[in-house]
Amino acid sequence: MQTDSGDMSRVVEHLAQVEGVAEDILADKQKLIDLDRRRNKTREAMRILQKDKTEEKKWICFGNMFIKVEKKKASRLLEHDFDEIEKEMSKTRTELKPKVNQLRDLEHKEEAKGFNLNPLSDSEMKAVKDLL
Amino acid sequence: MSLCPPGGTYKHPGGMAASTAEKVQEVREVTRIERIGAHSHIRGLGLDDALEARQTSQGMVGQLEARRAAGVILEMIKIAGRAVLIAGQPGTGKTAIAMGMAQALGSDTPFTSIAGSEIFSLEMGKTEALTQAFRKSIGVRIKEETEIIEGEVVEIQIDRPATGTGAKVGKLTLKTTEMETIYDLGQKMIESLTKEKVQAGDIVTIDKATGKITKLGRSFTRARDYDAMGPQTKFVQCPEGELQKRKEVVHTVTLHEIDVINSRTQGFLALFSGDTGEIKSEVREQINSKVAEWREEGKAEIVPGVLFIDEVHMLDIECFSFLNRALETDMAPILIMATNRGITRIRGTQYLSPHGVPIDLLDRLLIVSTKPYEEKEIKQILKIRCEEEDVEMSDDALTVLTRIGMETSLRYSIQLITAANLVCRKRKGTEVDVDDIKRVYSLFLDESRSTQFLKEYQQEFMFNEVGESIDMLNECFY
Repeated sequence: MQTDSGDMSRVVEHLAQVEGVAEDILADKQKLIDLDRRRNKTREAMRILQKDKTEEKKWICFGNMFIKVEKKKASRLLEHDFDEIEKEMSKTRTELKPKVNQLRDLEHKEEAKGFNLNPLSDSEMKAVKDLL
Repeated sequence: MSLCPPGGTYKHPGGMAASTAEKVQEVREVTRIERIGAHSHIRGLGLDDALEARQTSQGMVGQLEARRAAGVILEMIKIAGRAVLIAGQPGTGKTAIAMGMAQALGSDTPFTSIAGSEIFSLEMGKTEALTQAFRKSIGVRIKEETEIIEGEVVEIQIDRPATGTGAKVGKLTLKTTEMETIYDLGQKMIESLTKEKVQAGDIVTIDKATGKITKLGRSFTRARDYDAMGPQTKFVQCPEGELQKRKEVVHTVTLHEIDVINSRTQGFLALFSGDTGEIKSEVREQINSKVAEWREEGKAEIVPGVLFIDEVHMLDIECFSFLNRALETDMAPILIMATNRGITRIRGTQYLSPHGVPIDLLDRLLIVSTKPYEEKEIKQILKIRCEEEDVEMSDDALTVLTRIGMETSLRYSIQLITAANLVCRKRKGTEVDVDDIKRVYSLFLDESRSTQFLKEYQQEFMFNEVGESIDMLNECFY
């Protein structure tokens, strides 16, 4: 009986670990989706400001507050936001990889092949593309 | 198989429709039978985690030691320049073991299988053919990374300028299950959207770097938009997650494929000739250095594969010395050879050597031998083959077939399965029984009965005298 409960607790511990890592991955994926949504909204806003020919101050909604700012300043703010979001997304993506590998390791699956390779450049890819 | 009588149509008591249906059925069956290879039932080596061979597993039966050895070989695949020789009498599962190894390697590991005699061709030298086979067995893993926008088209709005000429502008609304957004369209994008005939309800991907648009299909939610669809209409789910995704695709290409692409001097000509002919050694050197560069930059991984040369005794002494040398390069795959010869002459020489392979090459090889199957194992294999070929067979018939297999050869008895099944269907039976086996046994001769027959009736065959006279001629020449 003693060994049984020992095995049991080991199984539970292992499952908890797997679930923990999986949860983390899912959270990151959701984060990517949210970031992309914000990125698209920011992009739309930038476009609208770009197309607008008037020189008045604009209403902008930050969080849940409307602020009236100058057009130039508004587009600068948006551009800054956009860059930040892009940076955050690529950071999240790079962090996601080791986590997925960790999960596969815990599940005793083989490491995903070629996961850690650096991508070929565009011109190199074009050369290889013919045979794919 | 029932055939139409010559010059007449096949009449069936069931009437026209039934007979047509049956004929269609028959035609289909025949093509299917033709498509089953002799080793199609093999799914792997049938080893457990501790590399112990199970008696019957993944289509493999018996040959426990040879299979265990093959499993060990797969484990050491990382070390370049290893070579293995599988030696055994005909029909003892040499090719089956090689196939099992290929299956166990998975689709990502290159596996090339050639027969020894394949390298003798007028189009290219022997060493060129061998080099190509070697390079077909080395994979290079590379990664492609693209940013794509993937979503369902909610709306396309294109504004034509009032004057009729000038730049068009437009808007494209895309959505995934999570979000929706509007893109402003420029002239270029409008043109390619029109060219691809993209409309609301399509699922598209847009490559961010090149702006290339690919239509994946129509959204399921739009399945009822029209009553009649073109045959190519494909319905897909609305994509999930982000609209703008980073797509990473890992490809494994073989060195030979890269060689071929780069040795094409006049583009499309090579496409039509099919055969690429010889590849210049400069091209190969260039590619080797490029791949080495990629490896240093972390852009590529080398995937050593397996080259299987069946009937290796068909190679001649020059090929063997080439193999000796080629095994020493750092990009050599695992070389597996199979032969059914004992001590015999090495091709191209007068010297005798075990397996028809020179001693210096033999010295580098790990030799795995296969032994003849026992009765129980033959029965098991025949049973597996029956399942593979969808043949129902009674136990008695299987026992009889096993006896035939013991007395003649495993190959012959496997051949009889399909033939017996056809006889059985001709008499509209559902299960092959002993009589069917007896019938095909009398219809088709095995090798020893055929030899017996020839010995008895040799005098009555055509060209018998000519054969003798040729022998005499030959004697005159020497």
